[in-house]
Amino acid sequence: MYGYVRPPLGTLPEEETERFRRIYCGLCHTLGRRYGTAARFILNYDFTFLAILLSDPTEESFCKSRCLVSPFRRRSFQASSGALELAADESVILAYWQLRDGAADYDWFHGLKYRGISEILEPAYRRAASFRPGFDERTRCQLELLGQLEAERCPSIDRAADAFAALLGAAAQEVGDPVRRRVLEQLLYHLGRWVYLVDAADDLKKDAVSGNYNPVALRFGLASGVWTAEARREFAATLDHSIHMMTTAFELWDFGVWTPVLESTLYTGLFQVGKAVLDGTFQAVRRGRIRKNHKNEEETT
Amino acid sequence: MNDPYQVLGVSESATDEEIKKAYRDLARKYHPDNYHDNPLADLAQERMKEINAAYEQITKERSGGGGRSGGSYGGYGYGYGGGQQYRSSGSATSSVLQQARMAVNSGDLSRAEALLANYSDHNAEWNFLKGVICYRRGWMDEAKRYYETACQMDPDNLEYRQALNFMAGGPRGAYRPGGGPFGTEVCPGNLCLDLCCIYSFCGGGGYFCCC
Repeated sequence: MYGYVRPPLGTLPEEETERFRRIYCGLCHTLGRRYGTAARFILNYDFTFLAILLSDPTEESFCKSRCLVSPFRRRSFQASSGALELAADESVILAYWQLRDGAADYDWFHGLKYRGISEILEPAYRRAASFRPGFDERTRCQLELLGQLEAERCPSIDRAADAFAALLGAAAQEVGDPVRRRVLEQLLYHLGRWVYLVDAADDLKKDAVSGNYNPVALRFGLASGVWTAEARREFAATLDHSIHMMTTAFELWDFGVWTPVLESTLYTGLFQVGKAVLDGTFQAVRRGRIRKNHKNEEETT
Repeated sequence: MNDPYQVLGVSESATDEEIKKAYRDLARKYHPDNYHDNPLADLAQERMKEINAAYEQITKERSGGGGRSGGSYGGYGYGYGGGQQYRSSGSATSSVLQQARMAVNSGDLSRAEALLANYSDHNAEWNFLKGVICYRRGWMDEAKRYYETACQMDPDNLEYRQALNFMAGGPRGAYRPGGGPFGTEVCPGNLCLDLCCIYSFCGGGGYFCCC
């Protein structure tokens, strides 16, 4: 996935941002323990969000350790749990197939990067697929379907998004409680739809130059990659309907200690990211910030 | 039944006013309008019943066990009174479309779809029902297009018009904690600031690898 699903941490109390950091670090450690260091690099906020949704309503016990990111100070993180293991396995499967998908999108030379990383991830993927064969099968089928829709340049944003949304919805397959499963399937389906559409909107300009398939451009006739006021309004409304489906599902299950983080992500974070993507500022903010990080590192060394 | 105070999320020492406020907030959250055509509406309906029962119980207890408390809880009584049900708009409606409506109402979308697929007269109601099915399946853009066609074919039909307005305008009136506006274009907040916070908490290492 792509890192679009993020809580507005600046507006959350410190206790909640710490909780979020602990599960973020917990997922990273779980990935490392189960799949080796290389697999830890697939970690992102979207996968953390998945881990939270699959978690129990109370926080499991904590561990403390140093790591690559915090080599001197021992930081607390969430101990491995069934939910974190499920999220880690599903994250590896999703990341692997998306890399393979990325490799298929390009010619031999430009696909090298994707093929290289997917080969590094291959042993981890094989292990994850053996743990979750059902999810692996579903992911492979849905991405294949998505590939077909891309090849025939399908102009329906719903059909294209459905292929990705259905595979994310399948992440809830192993949840035992039937009500919880229904709630999560609905929430994850629309999360997948939203992520797919926001990603397509984010790529509008790039795809206009490269000529790559972009369902949003086709649906709204935006060959130049520039929004018209009417298209933007319609597109924002369709995103909002998906967010509404997510929030109404979220309110029907008790997520316990995770409620504040989930609530702020769904009712605020998604709107903010969606708006930044529509304004064309999302990538700039992300890139600018990463450059700033590098600059800070240079200054401190 | 669960502890009514727990259901409303208030302590037993809460004032009448606090209880009323908690009840109203929950009632807004699980209101049928917020779950219109939602595939999880049945769960929301159960929650609403539980909230109504809890509020009624507390009201009775506090008024000494006998009846209601003299009108101070005027907000009581939100409920699912069949607002989700689709009724055929005219007597001339075909029985196939009526059956499709019934299938939609009972949540059997596959049956509704099969009925519509075998019905060759793609009139306004047919398009409207296709729209409802799309909406429930999460195909929001297609839903809007079917509603548009239904409205073009029958511009005076209020039901079709309402459905289209809701789809085109987005769920502006949807519940949001604290009552703020709901929508990508209307939600206040500065993403830049918030992203800065995200990147700083990973200790500057920033080992993000988004694939």
